[in-house]
This record gives sequence, C-alpha cells and structure tokens, in this order.
Amino acid sequence: MLTSPSAATADAAAIGAPAVDALVAGRRTRFLLVLGGCAVLLGLVVVASLVLGVRTIAPGQVWAALVPGAAGHDPAHADQAVVLQLRVPRTVLGLLAGTALGCVGTVIQGITRNPIADPGLLGITPGASLAVVAAVSFLGVTTPRGFVWFAFAGAALAALVVFAIGRAQPVRLALVGAALTAIITPLIALLLLRDVQAFDRYRFWAVGSLAARDLSIVGALWPFLVVGVLLTVALARRLTLLAMGDDVAASLGQDLRVTRALAAAAIVTLAGVATAFAGPIALVGLVVPHAARRLVGTDYRLLTPVAALLGPVILLGADVIGRLIVPGAELEAGVVAAFVGAPVLVAVARGRAIAST
Amino acid sequence: MTADVLDSRIPGITVVARLRAARRRRHALVIGVALLGALGLAVLALTLGAAGLTPVRALAAVVGMGERGDLFVVQHLRLPRVLAALFSGAGFALAGAIFQSVLRNPLASPDILGVSTGASLGAVWALLTLGLGGVAVAAWAFGGALLAAGAIWVLAWRRGLHAIRFVLVGVGIAYVCGSTLAWLLSRAEVREAQTALLWTIGSVADVRGARLTILGVGLGVLALVTALLSRTQAPLALGDDHAAALGVRVSATRAGLLLTAVALVAVATAAAGPVAFVALVAPAIARRLMDDGGAALAASTAVGALLVLSADLLGQHLFPGMSVPVGIVTGLVGAPYLLWLLSGRSERRTAAL
Repeated sequence: MLTSPSAATADAAAIGAPAVDALVAGRRTRFLLVLGGCAVLLGLVVVASLVLGVRTIAPGQVWAALVPGAAGHDPAHADQAVVLQLRVPRTVLGLLAGTALGCVGTVIQGITRNPIADPGLLGITPGASLAVVAAVSFLGVTTPRGFVWFAFAGAALAALVVFAIGRAQPVRLALVGAALTAIITPLIALLLLRDVQAFDRYRFWAVGSLAARDLSIVGALWPFLVVGVLLTVALARRLTLLAMGDDVAASLGQDLRVTRALAAAAIVTLAGVATAFAGPIALVGLVVPHAARRLVGTDYRLLTPVAALLGPVILLGADVIGRLIVPGAELEAGVVAAFVGAPVLVAVARGRAIAST
Repeated sequence: MTADVLDSRIPGITVVARLRAARRRRHALVIGVALLGALGLAVLALTLGAAGLTPVRALAAVVGMGERGDLFVVQHLRLPRVLAALFSGAGFALAGAIFQSVLRNPLASPDILGVSTGASLGAVWALLTLGLGGVAVAAWAFGGALLAAGAIWVLAWRRGLHAIRFVLVGVGIAYVCGSTLAWLLSRAEVREAQTALLWTIGSVADVRGARLTILGVGLGVLALVTALLSRTQAPLALGDDHAAALGVRVSATRAGLLLTAVALVAVATAAAGPVAFVALVAPAIARRLMDDGGAALAASTAVGALLVLSADLLGQHLFPGMSVPVGIVTGLVGAPYLLWLLSGRSERRTAAL
C-alpha cells in the first residue's frame, strides 16, 4: 500500500516528467501528514476515553492501572478498577467498531459507486436489527451479550442476500439494499408492536452504545475484524480502478468477479463485527470515507488507511462527548455519533470539490 | 404527411419515430393497467368487510343511492379509506419520483433523505414529550417534514442547489432525526413509546373529513404544479451542464420541483403518517416496468396509488381478526416485487436510475 506512491514515482521518472514527479512527491507528503495527524488525533481520543467520564481519573492512575509494573499498580483501587473494568473494554470496543465502520463504509461506497451508500442503506444494519428482534421475541434472549451473535449473523445474512441479488452492480446493489431495508423495517415494527417486552429490550440496543459490553465479544470476533481489514487493504487498488467504471477496470485487466467477491466478503465481516460490537451506529460508516476523500483524494490506497483511523476517532470521540454532555448521566454513542457525524457530512457536502462529481 | 416525406429520405428518423411510438405505447400501457387495477381494487375494497356488499350496491351507495346502512358503511367508512390510500400513495410516489429524477439518485426518496424521518420525529416529539394527540400530532408531523426539508435546503445551498450536496445532507439529516427518534423511544414509558412507534409506521384507517379533503386538494394542486414544471425536467437528467446548455434554468427548475415534492410529502404524511417506502419503491417499480431511464412521473403516481391501496386491503383482510397498518404492508408487498423485477433482468443501462 505504502509502496504504491513510490511505484507511481518510478513511472513518472520513466516518462521523464519532473513536474509529475514533484506532484507525486507532494501528494505523498500530504498523505503522510494527514495519516500522522489522524494517528495523533486517535491517540488523544483514546487517552480522553480512558481519563474522562462521569468520574474523571488522573492520567497517572490510568497509567498505573494499565501497566502492571508501574508504581502504585493496584487493581483493587477504585479509580483503577473503573479504568480496567469499564473504560478499557469501552475504549477497545470503540476502537475496533470504529475501524470496522470506517473500512466498511469505504468499501461499500467504492463498490456501489454511490456516495450515500452505507451499511444502513444497504439493508445490512436492518438485517442485524431484525435478527436481534427475532432473538428477543422468539428465543427470549435478554442480554446485550446474547445479542452479539444474532446481530453478526443477521448482518452477514443481509449482506449475502444483497450481494446475491444485486450481483455487485452499482445501481442494482443500491436498489436491492434499499428494497431489503423496506422489507425488514416493517417486519421489525410488526414484531415490536406485537410484543411490548421485546420492544422494551430492543429499544436500548437500537440506540447504539459502547457501554455495558465486555471484552469477551472482542475475543470471539477479532478474527473477523482482521480478515475484513485485510480484505479492505487488498481491495484498495481494485476499487481505485473501479471508480473509473466497470469497463475501464476490466480493460485494465481487473477480474470484476473477484473484486465483487472480495468486496462482499469484506462488507459481510466488517458490518457484522461493527454491529455486533456497538449496535446499529448511524452515519459513521457514511461520513468517514467522505471526510477521508476530502483529506487525501480519491485513491483508495491512500483513502483506506485514513478512513480506518478516522472511524474510531469519530465513534470514540462521540462516546466521550456522550459521557460529558449531560452531567451525571450518559448519552449513547449512537445518538452522539449522528450529531457529530452530521456536521462533518455537511462540511464535506458543502466543499467545493463535491460539486464537480 | 411531412413525416412520410422525411421518412423516405432519412431512414434514421423512421427508426427514432418508431422507437418513440413504442415507448409511448408502453407508457400508456403501464399507466392504464395500473389505473385499471387501482379502480378494480377500489371497487373490491368497497364491497369487502363485515357488512358484505355486492359491487352494484357498493357503487350505488357511492353516488348516494341505496339503503341508509349501505350509505353509512360506504360513504363514512370505506370510501374515505380507499380515497386516503389512493391519494397518499399517489402523493408519496410522485414525490419520490421527483426526488429521484431531479437528484439523479435512485435512493433519493423522502424516507432516506430525512423528510419522512423529520415528520416522524415531529409526531413522536408531540406524542411523547408534549403529550399531544389527534390533529395536533399531524400538524407536528407536517412541521417536522418542512423543518427537515428546510434544514437540508439551507445546509446544502451554496451558490445554487447541487444534487449531490442535497442528497448527502439529506441522508445526514435522516440519520440525525432517526437517532433522536430511537433515543426518544428508549427514554419514554414503554407503552407510550409503542404508541409512538405505531404512528411512525403510517396508516390510512382514520383519514376522513377535513383531513381527507386537505389531502385530496393538496395532492391535486401539487400534481398540477408538477405537470407544469416537469416539462423542463427531462434535460435535467442529462446533467446540470447539458441542461443549462439546452436553455434550462437549472437551479430554478430543480428548486421548484423539489419544493413541490417536499410539499407533497408533508401533505401526505400529515394525513396518513410516513407510509414507509412507497416513495422509494413505487418509482423504482414504474421505471423497471417502463424499461427506460426517464422520470416516469405519471406511471410512478399510478403505481403508488395501486401499491398503497392493495397494501391496505391486504393489511385489513389477510389476517382475520387483526388489522395491520398499511405502512407495514407497503414495504412487504412492494419491496419483494421490486426485488423480483430487479433479479429478472440484467442491468442494461447504468444510466437507468
């Protein structure tokens, strides 16, 4: 991935065009700056997520809690217990779910070539929701921990259906996803209207939250996340070519069926993981690729790493804001993420570059 | 006669003329079949129910003849419901068709752009936070739809209204409204929240009297405005630059059409609630049936009316002893049909949004 700009440099040098050379070098500098900036931002958000909350914990205590050999390490200490048992799981979940959302949004927008495509619109998040509702109302599952596998299976199944019927052709895929959403949403409503208890349990999951979940989910699902991220990385070059159209991509030697199969696999695993970790989080998957595109342009080889860093920045940032905004209480990350993501989306949409697309 | 003269000289024109005639025939066929279907279903809807009527007695009661019992059942119970289904379906579908063609995105419907979600949020806010009921809730829904559309408009406006900006900002607004809605539902008392959830699904069961009149008149006026504006719409599908080159005042046309569509959604939602996905599915079905990439406004309208009426009929009579709100059935009826249409044909034109 990082070698590709230098390959482009070699190309430019072969043509003997110093101007192109300079442009490529400029682009690479910019990319590295942006990437570094995002990483720093992510580090700050992670620290904030460990330190801030209903009870602010001194960074020294956080350090002492995290590092076994540090002076004053004492897991029984109240502050350190909060860090270890609440803040760390929450932060890890936010990091992983955010990464998954950033990557899945990028792949979906790339493969559908539709700027408003995201897991919600493609019927994947609704699929997860339907599975959770069915689990609650038919199987009597009651805890968020029990929801995880249903959410994952529902999302994966919905994504498979969308790709099977949509055959990964951009317009079809978008329409099939929307049609699937249109089938699932009323089914959810029907089940919820029938069963007040199920509604009572479902509505808290449906807001989307990082709290009250534990790390055993991560232990079970991390391989899926790794596979999804690797697939996203592998897709970067293909999606860049695909942006020029199916015909151009095919004529440049790309096997479109392989691209579509890889994209389907990436979307299934990533969307499943994200929904299982944090519930149906709106807007993060949509906003992140747009923001990344504003920063580094349309080349997916540059876009993907930036999106993978920006996803957790927004999700975890939303979670931290949600802990602070109402004194003594918490707003769920899903609600805050929508309010954090919307201005970013508006800013991107109002940018000059978008008008020409 | 002139056509004949031209025909003999330039063979290409004959082909174009023949293609155009075939297209017109197809449009007329789709619209005609949809309207006939809607008419037949309307008569069926008037006859079905606890008090079974023959079609003749039902139709006689429509024009004011027959027994008093028949008159009451038909004129006060069944006819308003049928009309509400037809009108709201036509309104949502026309609005969706306008959104999708003007914004050049097959997903750009009021459901996805946040106009319907804004209406739902307004109604749920009125129900749960303000404790209102009845007409006040409809008014809040109307306000919510307009407010959401206004927010999209203001935020997306930058030296004119660009399609992609409008769509992106609209999706953002939809998610913000949806998240707030989910949050309101999770904080309220569970029974009240369930009532509010019911409202967000949409139903034509109790639309009569003034609400029905407002819906009918509003739909008529707005459909007329659309007909006048839409003559300049076809070039817009070619892209802003081409349309401008052809002499279309792009921003003004787009603003006028979108404003009309927003008004259609607001009027229909205030009467029947945000009946889900009609605006998304009906135009998609109409376009597939037409098999061309045109706006298909008239066909969408007819398909929408047919869709909502048939969905309402199914919801009333499919499960004995249980009346399912129309908003639940529209998605369940329309979307599988759309999927079936989509799976049958390969995509020949990516331009056929």
